[in-house]
Amino acid sequence: MGEGKRMQEGRTGGLTTRGIVISGVLAAVAIFLGATRLGFIPVPTAAGNATIMHVPAIIGGILEGPVVGGIIGGIFGLYSFFYATIPLFKDPIVAIVPRIFIGIFAAWAYQATRRAGEWWAITIAAVVGTATNTVLVLTLAVVRHYLPASVAWVVGLTHGIPEIIVAVIISLAVLLSWKRVQSGQARARV
Amino acid sequence: MNEFELLRNVTIGQYLPTGSYLHRLDPRAKIIAATLVIGAASFTPSLLGNACLLAACVGLVWAGRIPLGYALRGLIPAAPFIVILAILQLLFFGRNYDPASPVIFQWGWIVVTSAVARLVVISAARFVELFIVTSVLTLSTQTTELAHGIESLLRPFRRLRVPSHEMALVVTIAVRFIPLLALEAERLLKAQASRGGRVVGGRWKFLARTRQLLPVLVPLFTFALKRGEELIVAMEARAYTGGEGRTSYTLLRGSPADWLAPIAALAFLVFMLFAPFPF
Repeated sequence: MGEGKRMQEGRTGGLTTRGIVISGVLAAVAIFLGATRLGFIPVPTAAGNATIMHVPAIIGGILEGPVVGGIIGGIFGLYSFFYATIPLFKDPIVAIVPRIFIGIFAAWAYQATRRAGEWWAITIAAVVGTATNTVLVLTLAVVRHYLPASVAWVVGLTHGIPEIIVAVIISLAVLLSWKRVQSGQARARV
Repeated sequence: MNEFELLRNVTIGQYLPTGSYLHRLDPRAKIIAATLVIGAASFTPSLLGNACLLAACVGLVWAGRIPLGYALRGLIPAAPFIVILAILQLLFFGRNYDPASPVIFQWGWIVVTSAVARLVVISAARFVELFIVTSVLTLSTQTTELAHGIESLLRPFRRLRVPSHEMALVVTIAVRFIPLLALEAERLLKAQASRGGRVVGGRWKFLARTRQLLPVLVPLFTFALKRGEELIVAMEARAYTGGEGRTSYTLLRGSPADWLAPIAALAFLVFMLFAPFPF
């Protein structure tokens, strides 16, 4: 037991082996969704696509807590900064900083609402995580003078809402099947 | 069958070995220099400064012995977005941005002031500059080098409980997992296609489209998490305990010549931020 305790003390920043691996794996999913364009769902708004690239950060936050969620978001942000084709995201302040908070806020929302039941907690965490992304990115875009505030409001409402719906559906589907939560619907499990 | 070949489209960590000075630079020096130049590009407020930056970027491409056309190729798909952003800025900023600036164009409710016109040019130039700097960095540095460099640079911050080694390992795991995910996704898409499953539905039916993506996305996440669990067991079985007292297979040794690049970049940044450019 003493040995085990010493091993724990050797760690810095509260990252366990589990935290490292889950962060890496889910960050890979985020990058993969972006690189293959699988993570873009065409929606009828000016921006054209709702992205689900931030969903791994939400899922990581829910599964392993705010540190893991933050790391996944940070890697997603770095990727979107390095490989951006939209001028807005070629700015490190707009691309990287907001993304770190997606998983952190989602994790806090999940922990705060967990008592209401798994289903509700995941839904609220997905809404909070997605809204964090949309609101922070657009706020920083306005602060950095890429977009006028009026345009940011329109983008936020028309783009943010479909994105929240899509993120909730995918987070629920993935986490309910991973955690094997009984969702009350009789469905074949493949 | 092209739609199933996901692996080919994943272009993270594209590396162009030309053996130039930039390629041979110590990754730590290169990361610091790139960060400083990115800072210069992000915060230079003047037109002339941005012109200098663009020239410096061309110089970087030349120093990396990267064909200019190759480095700029990625700008073509970005061109429509640059134009859209410029139009949005021209149409909607109006007098809200710097009301004191003189109006240079007015037609109905559309007002363009010279400050907005300047802003449009600087936004576009900044995008091109950052695009070139990040391209040169990724084309001249392997992803593992980047991870080692970041780990080494963050090491002094371990005292502040920044998990430098762990962060580098996260990046390495992510990079190693992407090809596995691509193979698995190919398998899933083919399995769906062979059962007659197709991703259809236009823009207005995005909910239907999301539902159709679920049979691919849910197993993909589950696959990733399952492989993750296996990796955790494998690492713990080998008594992995994190970065404390761990030595590295790759040792980074910088020569004085390596540190010329960040010094030059720092001088450039200071010059860009404080030089009295007339416009």
